[in-house]
Amino acid sequence: MTYDNEQNELASHSRYRHRPLWRRVSWSGVLVGMAIGLAIGLYRAWYVNPVVEFDTEPWQLTESIRQEYMATIALSFGYNSDLTKALERLLETAPRQVDPFQDLADTACELTQTGYVATNGGLKAIRSMKTLYQLQGRTGCADTFIQLEIQPTALVQIELPTPTALPPATKTPTPPPLAVPTSTPFTFVVPTAVPQNQYVLVNVATYCNPSLSGLIEVYVQDIDGEGVPGQRVRVRWAEGEDTFYTGLKPEKGWAYADFTMTVGEAYTLDMPERSEPSTQELVATPCTTEEGAAAITSYRAIYRSNS
Amino acid sequence: MLRFLTSLLIGILVGFVLGLYLGWVPFPVEYVNSPASALAQSYKDDYTVMIANAWLQDGDTELALTRLRLLEVENIPQHVQDVTERYISGSVFIDEIPALVALSEALGRLTPIMIPYRQAEITP
Repeated sequence: MTYDNEQNELASHSRYRHRPLWRRVSWSGVLVGMAIGLAIGLYRAWYVNPVVEFDTEPWQLTESIRQEYMATIALSFGYNSDLTKALERLLETAPRQVDPFQDLADTACELTQTGYVATNGGLKAIRSMKTLYQLQGRTGCADTFIQLEIQPTALVQIELPTPTALPPATKTPTPPPLAVPTSTPFTFVVPTAVPQNQYVLVNVATYCNPSLSGLIEVYVQDIDGEGVPGQRVRVRWAEGEDTFYTGLKPEKGWAYADFTMTVGEAYTLDMPERSEPSTQELVATPCTTEEGAAAITSYRAIYRSNS
Repeated sequence: MLRFLTSLLIGILVGFVLGLYLGWVPFPVEYVNSPASALAQSYKDDYTVMIANAWLQDGDTELALTRLRLLEVENIPQHVQDVTERYISGSVFIDEIPALVALSEALGRLTPIMIPYRQAEITP
């Protein structure tokens, strides 16, 4: 090897040795490798060794259990009227980006179409769910179901044949009976409660208004929608009841009567001897207007004569 | 060629680690259709509290038991007792304790620690 060759080779090695790292790496190789590695890593993390299921949240439950969980939230709300807590709980049950109260209404609707309402407990749960979502202005098919369910039942008439017993055998022959025993139908009337359905609660709406805070507004109308003054309306709550009459505030119309609720209290409404009690509890829960003003939820109920 | 293969290997290694991290930490498998027994303990406790509240309204112990069976715990009265005592010991959610105590008592599990929280007037 000549001196020149030796020098060239040394220079070549030196160039290679001092080549920057980024020039020594094949970036296309790295990218392809990363793509392959990423796929393998994700496959392993999701399918081969997924994270162990723990701290499962209510929204991850099977649908039937999630529905039961939501019904329980509504029942609990029926006890403590804590809207904030109920909302927090509902948010945990609702899949992401879903309105929790509408989800509740939809769930109540689904439950009414199953055997869930066949039991008293189920029925009570549906009513609680309905109260909770209606307070937030949501509707669902359970509304219709409950309305149908509270319709007074008509008298039940059952026609039963009455077998007539044959006369007992005697030792002496008896003359043939004048009449052959026959089955005589008669009407068996099952007594039911006297229907109190002159007026029907046709609508209960909620609203939030600081100037009309915690009010139950009642409108009593005849079949044509005209106001009927002097009608007795009753509210009942856990510890008592109160009665008030329509038409005492003529500036608001002859149909009008109102009652101011106490915060946290739940009320039922009826027209004594003229209507069935409302199945929906009117709960005086805090609410916030769109402008951010705090108030107590108010209700507007309409009774209408059906005759 | 050697340069390419070495780079490919390094890429695979980095990608694999990155994939594991992504698949376990920011984007882990999210289970759905889970049984109630898989619920986090805090939700099981909360569910029990809600059942206790519902029981205070209707006093239907059988119904409360039916609803609690959802949790698939072996011994429901023991579970209610445990939750109640945990709430009392932790002094958290004090408002919920009387309802839990009432339900626990209805299930025959009134323990000395519960007695101060027992409120006869709330029992239906």
